[in-house]
Amino acid sequence: MNLPEYLIPAADGVPWLTLLVLSPLAGIALIGLAWLIKLDERTIKAGVLAWTGVPLLLAGLIWARFDPNAVASGQGVVQLVERVPWIQAIRVDYFLGVDGLSMPLVLLTAVMTPVAVIASWNVSERVRAHLALLLLLEAAMLGYFVALDFFFFFIFWEFSLVPAFFLIQGWGREQRRYAAFKFFVYTMAGSLGMLLLFQVIYLAVRQAGYPTFDLIALGRLGQGLPVAGVEGNLRDILFAYLEQLGVTNALGRYPLLYSSIAMWAIFIAFAIKLAVWPFHTWLPDAYAEGPTAASILLSAVMSKMGAYGMLRLLLPFTPDAAQYFAPALAALAVVGVVAGAFGALHQVNGDIKRLIGYTSINHMGYVMLAIAGAAAAGDAGIAARASAINGALVQMVAHGLSTGALFYLAGALHERTGRWELSGLGGLRASAPTFAGVMGIALFANLGLPGLAGFVGEFFIFRGAWATLPFFTALAVIGLVVTALALLLMFQRIFLGPATGAPRAIADLRPQEFWTMAPILTLSLLIGVYPAPLMALGNAAAGQLVAIFTRVLG
Amino acid sequence: MAFFLQNAWLIPLLPLLASAIITLTPIRRQAMASAWLATGLMMAATVLALGLLAAVAGGWALHDGKLVQLAAHHGEHGAFAFPEPNVVQRLAWAPTGDTVLQMGIYIDGAAAAMLAMVTITSTCIHLFSIGYMAAHPRQSRFFSFIALFTAAMLLMSMADNLLLFFMAWEIMGLCSYLLIGFFYERPSAARAAVKAFITTRIGDVLLLLGIVYLYAQAGGIAFGNEEGGIFHPPLLERLATETGALGLSHAAGIALLIFGGTVGKSAQFPLHVWLPDAMEGPTPVSALIHAATMVAAGVFLVARTFPIFAADPTALGVVAFIGAFTALFAATIALAQFDIKRILAYSTLSQLGFMVAALGVGGWVAAMFHLITHAFFKALLFLGSGSIIHAMEQQPAIQRIHHHDEYAAQQTAQDIRNMGGLRTRLPWTFWTYTAGYLALAGIVPFAGFWSKDEILLDAFKHNFAVYLTLSAAAFLTAVYMTRQWWLVFFGEYRGEHPVVFKNPDAPAGHAEHGHDDHHHADHHGEHWHEDPRMIAALVVLASFAVTAGAFNLPLDGPGGHWLASLWGQEAAKLNPLVAGLSLLIALAGIALGWYGYRNAFATAADTDPLAARAPGLFAVLNAKYQIDELYAATVGRLTASLATAWSLIDRAVIDRLVDGMGRFTFGLGKVNFIIDDTLLNDGPDGLASGTQGSGRQARRLQTGKAQDYLIYVFSGLLALAVFWLYVIGR
Repeated sequence: MNLPEYLIPAADGVPWLTLLVLSPLAGIALIGLAWLIKLDERTIKAGVLAWTGVPLLLAGLIWARFDPNAVASGQGVVQLVERVPWIQAIRVDYFLGVDGLSMPLVLLTAVMTPVAVIASWNVSERVRAHLALLLLLEAAMLGYFVALDFFFFFIFWEFSLVPAFFLIQGWGREQRRYAAFKFFVYTMAGSLGMLLLFQVIYLAVRQAGYPTFDLIALGRLGQGLPVAGVEGNLRDILFAYLEQLGVTNALGRYPLLYSSIAMWAIFIAFAIKLAVWPFHTWLPDAYAEGPTAASILLSAVMSKMGAYGMLRLLLPFTPDAAQYFAPALAALAVVGVVAGAFGALHQVNGDIKRLIGYTSINHMGYVMLAIAGAAAAGDAGIAARASAINGALVQMVAHGLSTGALFYLAGALHERTGRWELSGLGGLRASAPTFAGVMGIALFANLGLPGLAGFVGEFFIFRGAWATLPFFTALAVIGLVVTALALLLMFQRIFLGPATGAPRAIADLRPQEFWTMAPILTLSLLIGVYPAPLMALGNAAAGQLVAIFTRVLG
Repeated sequence: MAFFLQNAWLIPLLPLLASAIITLTPIRRQAMASAWLATGLMMAATVLALGLLAAVAGGWALHDGKLVQLAAHHGEHGAFAFPEPNVVQRLAWAPTGDTVLQMGIYIDGAAAAMLAMVTITSTCIHLFSIGYMAAHPRQSRFFSFIALFTAAMLLMSMADNLLLFFMAWEIMGLCSYLLIGFFYERPSAARAAVKAFITTRIGDVLLLLGIVYLYAQAGGIAFGNEEGGIFHPPLLERLATETGALGLSHAAGIALLIFGGTVGKSAQFPLHVWLPDAMEGPTPVSALIHAATMVAAGVFLVARTFPIFAADPTALGVVAFIGAFTALFAATIALAQFDIKRILAYSTLSQLGFMVAALGVGGWVAAMFHLITHAFFKALLFLGSGSIIHAMEQQPAIQRIHHHDEYAAQQTAQDIRNMGGLRTRLPWTFWTYTAGYLALAGIVPFAGFWSKDEILLDAFKHNFAVYLTLSAAAFLTAVYMTRQWWLVFFGEYRGEHPVVFKNPDAPAGHAEHGHDDHHHADHHGEHWHEDPRMIAALVVLASFAVTAGAFNLPLDGPGGHWLASLWGQEAAKLNPLVAGLSLLIALAGIALGWYGYRNAFATAADTDPLAARAPGLFAVLNAKYQIDELYAATVGRLTASLATAWSLIDRAVIDRLVDGMGRFTFGLGKVNFIIDDTLLNDGPDGLASGTQGSGRQARRLQTGKAQDYLIYVFSGLLALAVFWLYVIGR
């Protein structure tokens, strides 16, 4: 198949991305095999942990083959492309590839899955099923980040819900059924609009003589970049189709109206996943009620699927509407930032997992703010807008690392104390100094202390968003103060003061737990001290993506 | 010379290395080895910093790695400008679209002076701590933290851009949090630590906004006068003339936001409330972080970005007002405190106010000069108070409290009413403390006289209201320091029958125990001791408290104006009128303090003479104008209600909607039940069974079986496929 210059396959011809997506699935097959030969559960756990090294290794090899600086015809070059015609009738291709927007998230997924496996070490019921679901979830998330045809993109998107649902429902806490149901239905319902939209888009581009579900081609059309075989941009194509259907006679001849409808359809689907206010209330329930491994993968990786979707679909497909509604999106982001922060503060005597969940809402609010800031109208140049996107990518990785660590430690704390409530704890630092130290680092990473990754993300988000949306950016700093307060009070409740709570002493972090946290937090430190390698991954692609917003659209 | 210029980056690295080694290697189990490792590396950093200062003072600079001599820069009348830096080294740190953000070091006279001051005081404080913390089981951790702190302070002093400055600034905030809460078993320490972190963070987020504001306007945040630097004159001119939000020019807006950081970090009104509580930390920490260095970082921030402030004088007016107000306000509170460290803490607030006010009236050199002299004499006073407290804690009456309540014992040992007559018991401490006292009170020729006089002179010339306010504050400074000095060192020792601190967090059952004890005090059990390592540190700092004024004497000729010429700024001339007045003010304050307290406190339980004359005033001052209570009743309560309100919105509004929609969908789902059963044969799980165990009303909505929802997914996909096929087949 002839590929345009902005798509390049692997130089060595190896289908790296297919291998990456299939590798966790092969792990599931191995679990089945182990079950057949009746290996004991401990061995299976160790085996699965070792096997999560395979996707990690593959992700590393892909990273080594990835050239972050490659740009061609107005976009970051999509690399290691695999493209095979699949369902010819509706022009669906099996189309995988990575670019600067997906590469950091592929790495994050591969890094966090082993942590989730270790976090399930103390699962005693239906161990094999639990581990298989984790691997299934990993495969779905990896597939989502590398799929570039809407058909596969959407299947991975929806399918990732299934293992997450069963993990929450099967291994969660008291309210797990409610939480799993809410999580599932929320996301499902939110995706309906996007699904319908893509059917309309397909019909529109088909009428324009270019039937495709190719997200890259559609994104290029959306941005008005040349695509071989078709003229014009997505907005006009969509408008022409709707005009032909007679819709414009009923609703009016405003092209921006229809791209706005498209934008909101996409936005709602992804905003739910990203837990943008007011689509966030599933999150504290799902994170809190799920088992530790599910909390880790949901918070660390799955919520980023929403932000990635906005970068991949929302900004390129409907740039005019994104620019027009950027202040509205920023307003939702800021409300989420504030709501998440105060929600967390409300939990300082309550449930530790719920508290961490609310801080996630707060942090994802910054990501949303960055996306709005990159798109908003204004005289800000590429440097500011690309900084916002870079900041959002770093924030996603940083939040994945620090929140994953916090959930892991909350699980470890629960094993020791038998409780999730923070009230009644106290003074545990004396008996568990290393535990307190590691939790402290995770917490400061989470609240954005300079020197750790979270700060880099937040700084560049603020730097980029201020250039176009100073008012909302200024309001968003309330979240920085209040989240810090909530997290520090959480730490104080658990570890400080006299040891008068129940229990009065707990076991310190075991070596296994310490060495699970050490790489995660070291990674956070490295990114915080020298973010250039991570930021360089997405910088070129981000710079191209935001170029269109330096003009006035709509 | 080239060696010191090329290796300046080692200065923060050495203490950072000490901190990392102590934290990560088994040396942390060897308390003394950790302590001496940190102190040794700190001394090495001091040597490098002094070498660097000598090189910079000699006018040497590195240009592309080659040693060159800079032309002398004397500062002109008119616009404020920094001289050419001596060393700038940068590396690419983060790509930002079509530009790159660089990080590095930027060394000029101001940075070199800061580095020398910080390394010297930090070395003294390390040395002092070896004696002071010797008995503490977490001594290694203590040294790890103060070494990390010093590394951050040094990095901040030599940062080449505002982002690196801010990063180091925040790491200092972290260390401050960790060290205030060092005695983490004490609830009061844990509370004070959180209060300090959050209060300063309020200022920090304003600073962060100032940085991104500047970044957006200037396209960069690197220091420097050249094109691309934030002090590039055409840029400053544009910032000062273009209008941003609220009718302020960009320059004024940016400057005010940056100043927000100063108000937090340097504990200026209205964010001053954290600093007195920060005295919960070990006393060397109070000396290092909460007197000499970190709190002065806020002043250095304004000094570092001064061209932006100077570009539009609107912000400087606010700076002058806040500084002068804090100087006077904090001095009045210090009059009515009994805790030796809290008096010093309010004094620090007041002196920081002097520096801030100096910047506000354009006295850049005076502010930086006072920053440096104050660091020496205030560190000295704090360490002296540490020596006193250390000795007090060994006394029998305190020891008896210590048995059941360590915290109450420490607080009791810090109460100046329980001291008295220590002049003969702690002679080294007395003489060094006296040097610090005279420096702070502003008596010629001690260091504080010269720097404070220079501030008053600038205020006298540029803003008479500020001059009057600062003069009043200087008068009160002399009064409260005389009161403290007299009560601590003169009269009779009153500690056999101390005023016992009532610990609100005391474990139940022991609260009143201390009162019964002190009647049986043992008069013969007194033994007073001064640790030689502690004395060594006091003597070094005392020598600076006596002589540091010589760094910038307002006299022409050799040795005069040394700092002003190091910093490349215009030198201040001695004004005999202002100097004489300020000396008179100080002497009057000392006289009043002595007169008021010469016969006060025959016993610890007596009433303060000021309280006897003006009980209402004393109560207000003693309660610190009740600002903490005001904040708790307003901001504190507002925050708590907002937290409740947001949760309520989530549960009562949004979740209701969601659950309602879910119920509606679920009703539709029932229609599909037959398909469900036949397709998946999912067994007898009833819908009703799901409601069991659900306590909360909002949670009543329950699920059926997972299979039900899975079927939605697949029927959705199926419908999709049918739709596509239909469309295609058309």
